Amino acid sequence: MSRAVNASEFVIRNAHVLDPSSDLDRITDVRLTEGRIAEVGDGLRGGRELDADGLHLFPGFVDVHAHWRTPGREDEETIESGSAAAAAGGFTSVVMMPNTDPVVDKPVIVSGLMRRIEQESRVRAYISAALHAGLEGKRLTEMRLLKEAGAFCVSDDGLGTASAGVLRNGMLYARTAGLPVILHCEDHTLATGVVHDGVAAALAGIPGSPASAEDAATATALILAAETGAKVHITHVSTALSAALVAFFKSRADVTGDTTPHHLTLTDDLVSTLEGMYRVNPPLRPDDDRRGVGEALRDGVLDFVATDHAPHASEEKELPIEEAAPGFLGHETAFAALYSEIVLGGVLPLSRLVEAMSCAPGRWMSEGAGTIGVGASADLTLVDLSEEWTVGRESLLSQSANSPYTGRKLTSRVVGTIVGGELIHDRTGARFGVRA
Amino acid sequence: MLSRDFLTLEGVGREELREVISLARTHADGRLSHPLDGKTVCLAFFESSTRTAVSFDLAARRCGADVISLSEKGSSISKGESLIDTVVTLDRLGADALVLRHPAAGASMLAARHTEAAVINAGDGCGQHPTQALLDLYALSEAVGGFDELEGRRVAIAGDILHSRVARSVIPAFRAAGMDLAIVAPLTLLPQEADAWGVPILDSVDGALEWGADVVYLLRLQNERMNGRSPRVPSVGEYARFYGVARRHLRDGLLVMHPGPVNRGVEIAGDVVLDGASLVPGQVAAGIAVRSAVLTLATGATHEVAA
Repeated sequence: MSRAVNASEFVIRNAHVLDPSSDLDRITDVRLTEGRIAEVGDGLRGGRELDADGLHLFPGFVDVHAHWRTPGREDEETIESGSAAAAAGGFTSVVMMPNTDPVVDKPVIVSGLMRRIEQESRVRAYISAALHAGLEGKRLTEMRLLKEAGAFCVSDDGLGTASAGVLRNGMLYARTAGLPVILHCEDHTLATGVVHDGVAAALAGIPGSPASAEDAATATALILAAETGAKVHITHVSTALSAALVAFFKSRADVTGDTTPHHLTLTDDLVSTLEGMYRVNPPLRPDDDRRGVGEALRDGVLDFVATDHAPHASEEKELPIEEAAPGFLGHETAFAALYSEIVLGGVLPLSRLVEAMSCAPGRWMSEGAGTIGVGASADLTLVDLSEEWTVGRESLLSQSANSPYTGRKLTSRVVGTIVGGELIHDRTGARFGVRA
Repeated sequence: MLSRDFLTLEGVGREELREVISLARTHADGRLSHPLDGKTVCLAFFESSTRTAVSFDLAARRCGADVISLSEKGSSISKGESLIDTVVTLDRLGADALVLRHPAAGASMLAARHTEAAVINAGDGCGQHPTQALLDLYALSEAVGGFDELEGRRVAIAGDILHSRVARSVIPAFRAAGMDLAIVAPLTLLPQEADAWGVPILDSVDGALEWGADVVYLLRLQNERMNGRSPRVPSVGEYARFYGVARRHLRDGLLVMHPGPVNRGVEIAGDVVLDGASLVPGQVAAGIAVRSAVLTLATGATHEVAA
C-alpha cells in the first residue's frame, strides 16, 4: 500500500488548515516533529516537505464505533484490513467493539488484542470491552481488570440494552472502574422487526421495528446516566426524538451522542429495493428523522459522527432483507458521503463536520486530542475536497464490500492520513518531496 | 439511649461506649457473679443466626438469667405469629430483656413500643447490629491497649455497605470512639447517597493503605451479589483483588477485622484469616463479655464489682 515515511520531522506546506478547536481556517504550514505538532505558521521549511497546495488539512478523524471482526470473523475484517480501511477514510483513532467471537469480556482477550493491535494496526486502535459477560445483559464483566488489561471503554453494542435494573448496576460499576459506557439503545421487547416500521416496510411486507424501540431505550439509558453519574455515550442515534432526549439530558448527565453517516444521508426508502444490503441496525429511518438527526448534529446536541463500520461477508448480505445481516461498511466513505450530501447540501458547515469527525470525538477520547494545537499528537487528515470518485469494491481497502454507497459518485476524498507524524495512508503521489 | 434499650448506635456518645467496654472488661475478668440472677432473658430470632444467638445465650446463662429461646424453627415464629404478638407474649411471660433478630430494619424499635422489657437489637435487616459494633470496639480496644488508644486511628470499612447492618452500627460507633473512617466499595455496593456518612470513599484496599488505614474492616459479600438477577459484583477474582485483604497488605502493623462468617479467598485471603494481624478470633471471643455487659446494663442489674 502506501509508502511509509519515518521522518522524525516534516513540514506540510500550503495546506488549507481547518481546525475549529484552535480557530484555524487558512492556508498555512504545519511542522511535525517527533510525532507531535511543533509549529503552525506561514513560510515554514524543512528537510522533508509535503506540498499540500489545494488540499485541506484537518485534525485526524476519530471513529468511536467500529467492528473489525477480530477475533472470530477474520474473513470479514482483520485488524490489518480494518485499520487500512480506517486510514483510507482519514481516521487516525478507532474504537473496536466487543461483539466478536469470543466476545471481548475477559482481561486475557483484551491483552491478546492489545498485542495484535500493536503489531497490525496502522491507526490508533482502542478496545471496547463488553459491559456484561457474553453481551448477555446479566453478569457484569471484570471492568477493573479489563481496564488494567488495556480496555478503553465498555459496551454491549450489537445487542440491545440490558433491563433497566441490570443496566443501572452496569453504569455504576463502570463509573467505579473509571470506564466510559457506549450504549446501543434498543429495547428488544419492541424491536421485533428487521427494518424501520414505516411506509416502505408496510408496502413491502417486511416486519418493522418501531422507532420506540430506540427511543424508549434511549430515555431509560439517559435517566440512568443522570442518576448514576456514569460517563455515557449514546451511539448511532437515528431518530429525531432520541436526539431531543439527548438534548434534554445534556445538562443533567455526563452524556454525549453520535449519529452515523448513513443515518444522516440515507432513508428507509431503500427498503423498497428489498435488498439485503440495506439492512442495518438501528434501521434507516424516514426523512423527518434523517433531517432531525442532521439538525441535532449541526446544533451540537449530537456531539459527533461515528461510522458503526460493520463489514459482512457477501453471503450474509446477498440475501432477502429479512435474512441479511445488519450493518454497513463505514470508514472509507464517511467523510466523502457527509461532505457530498450534507455539507454541499447546505445542512452543515464544513467546520462543523470537522468538529464532529475530529475535534469532538478526539476530546471525548482524550483531553487535549482532536486538535492541531502545538504539542498535540500529529494525527492529521489531508483531504482533496474537489476529487470525485465512485464507490466500488475496487476502491475500498476493507476486506468486505457491503457499502450502501456502492455505485454512487461522491465528492471529496482523503488523500493522506498521518498518525503520530507518520504518513500511514498516502495518495499524495508526487506531492511529497525531500529537499536537498 | 444505651441505659435500657439497645436499638441503634446512630447518635451514640463516647462515654456510653466507654461504659459498655469497661463493663465488658469487668465481665471478662470474671469479677461479676451472676448479676442477672432472677432475671428472664428472651431470645427471639426471626432470622437464622449461629454466633450471635449462641453468644447471647451463653452470656445470659453465665450471668445467671433464665433464658427463653424462640427461633424460627419449631416456635410460634415459624407458625407465622406477628412480631408484635410474639413480643407481647414474651412481655406477659415476664421477660426482663428481649434479644431480637429480625429480617427487617426497624423491627426492634417497633418491638420496644410493645413491651416493658428492655429490647436488645441483635440485628435487624440492613438496619443495625449494635452488639456487633460494641464487641468490635472491645476487641480493637484490647488489641491497641485500651479504649482511649482508639482515638485517631484510621479504619477503612470495605465491602457491601449497602446491605450491611454491621456497617450501619460500626460507622457511628467507631466515629464516636474518635476514629477516622473511610469506606472502600464499588458504587454498586453503596447507597445512592454514598455520602450519607460523610466519609471518604476509596477505590480499593490498596487505596485504603495509601490513605493510612490502621485497620481494615471487611464485610461479608453475599453470593447473590454476583449471581442474583441484577449482579453488583463481576467475580470473586475482581472483588478479592480490589476489595479483599491479601497477605501483601499485611505491613506496618495493619489490623484486619471481619464480623464473620468469613468467605475465605473473597474478603480475606485464606492465609490471613488466622494470621496474627487478624482480630477475627478475638472479635468472636469478645462477644460473650460484651453481650454480658449489654444484658447487665439493659436489665438494670446491679453490677458492683464483687469484692
